[in-house]
Amino acid sequence: MIRFADVSIKLGDFSLKNVNLEIKEGEFFTILGPTGTGKTVILELIAGLYRPDAGKVFINGVDAENIPPERREIGFVYQDYALFPHLNVYKNIAFGPQLGKIPSPIIKERVKDLADMLGISHLLKRFPGTLSGGEQQRVSLARAFIMKPRILLLDEPFGALDPNTKRMLCRELKKMHLQYRYTVVHVTHDFNEAGMLADRIGIILEGRVRQVGVSREVFENPLDQKVASFLGAEPLKTVFAG
Amino acid sequence: MKKNWWQDKFNLFMVAVAFFTFLFMMTAVATLMIKGLPQIGKALAAPEIQFAIRLSLYTSLISTAFCIVIAIPVAYVLARMDIPMKSFFNTLLDLPLALPPVVSGLCLLIIFGTTAFGAWLEEIDLSFVFTVKGIIMAQIFVNLPFMIRVMKSTILSVNPRLEFIARTLGCTPAQAFWKITLPLSKNGIIAGTVITWARALGEFGAALMLAGATRFRTETLPISLFLNMSTGDLEGAMAAANLLIIISIISLYIFNKFGGDFIGGTRGV
Repeated sequence: MIRFADVSIKLGDFSLKNVNLEIKEGEFFTILGPTGTGKTVILELIAGLYRPDAGKVFINGVDAENIPPERREIGFVYQDYALFPHLNVYKNIAFGPQLGKIPSPIIKERVKDLADMLGISHLLKRFPGTLSGGEQQRVSLARAFIMKPRILLLDEPFGALDPNTKRMLCRELKKMHLQYRYTVVHVTHDFNEAGMLADRIGIILEGRVRQVGVSREVFENPLDQKVASFLGAEPLKTVFAG
Repeated sequence: MKKNWWQDKFNLFMVAVAFFTFLFMMTAVATLMIKGLPQIGKALAAPEIQFAIRLSLYTSLISTAFCIVIAIPVAYVLARMDIPMKSFFNTLLDLPLALPPVVSGLCLLIIFGTTAFGAWLEEIDLSFVFTVKGIIMAQIFVNLPFMIRVMKSTILSVNPRLEFIARTLGCTPAQAFWKITLPLSKNGIIAGTVITWARALGEFGAALMLAGATRFRTETLPISLFLNMSTGDLEGAMAAANLLIIISIISLYIFNKFGGDFIGGTRGV
């Protein structure tokens, strides 16, 4: 479904080198790595924010180079949620469908359904600045879901949340994924989060993808010393306990 | 807590400098206003002042509109895009801010008055030398960099991820700009517009060089002030000056109200 073929890109001092990666349709794929190793850049390459300096990104078997972000059928949730501050929650969620000239009663119904599902119905008239981190996160997910994306890109979506809210939202997200089976590419540096959510995990270190595999397999059999040393920071038992 | 004697003296020195600075500025402006305000009624009845007000409003509104329309895309390029020699363009666009206005005016006079380009423009009825169009051109040349600076700071303050998220939700780049960046730049646009308009209204040096100072022809408020001073009409000069002071105070108030203080340190540029 998503394939990176020898992708390299240099952005300022940072560079991603010869990334080869394959993410299957409908899977929950987590990119795990320390801060500043290029995890977000991988998402932004999938979304079309950047073009690779070398190599190609394929989406559904098609070279995505000339496909603009608006035609990639992706939903993107950033760590800071990036809600539109001048629009209330309803308008944030309805932003995408309103562009597509969908009749407003249908938009209203879709927003209501999603808001009910994510427990944010009471927030629709509020502005993002007045919401808590968890509420903003739900609005951001609703805004991405309403477009029925084929690919959902999550950039450390739970990074700023307290542990309880984080656990609850992780469960909801996993439930929604199992229900709708869209492809999710999720970025985090949190082993527990990765262990709880991912079907497969890709370990990225120093701008290179070092190991890809099923979660347990990656945590139990690190491919090399660098991966082992990165994963060694957390005892294995706690990863799968969640 | 007991302070050291030198700390007290230091604070006293700072407060004294600040106090005398405020006092000097207030005295300068207040003296002119006290002497000039009573003349305003009489001055407003004078045909040349009425003409100057009309011409000032006409030229400043047109030049400000041009500044907005040009500054927004230029600022967007400088704030958002990776272009070659960006710092060079930044410096170049800031140049008229550092140049004395008369030098800016001379630059324009040379372009429009002595080159083949200027001659061609005259042929197509776009004459800028000693005309009202020249006043507008001078105001644009002097004020455009200022508006660009305000807009650049404003656009930089808008999280670029918002535009990108809008793209993933179906916006074209232009739609993302219109629906996200522009509405979020509203305060900067208002602040920049007001202060650019006020500066246009008071533009003198460059307009004098390019458009000249002719009564009932290129007589804006500052030109009127200059002409009245030249002919010894101090009352008329003070009336024009007072109108400009009132407009400046109101504009500065609006500029600060809409966040001018926070727009890239542009206050007072």
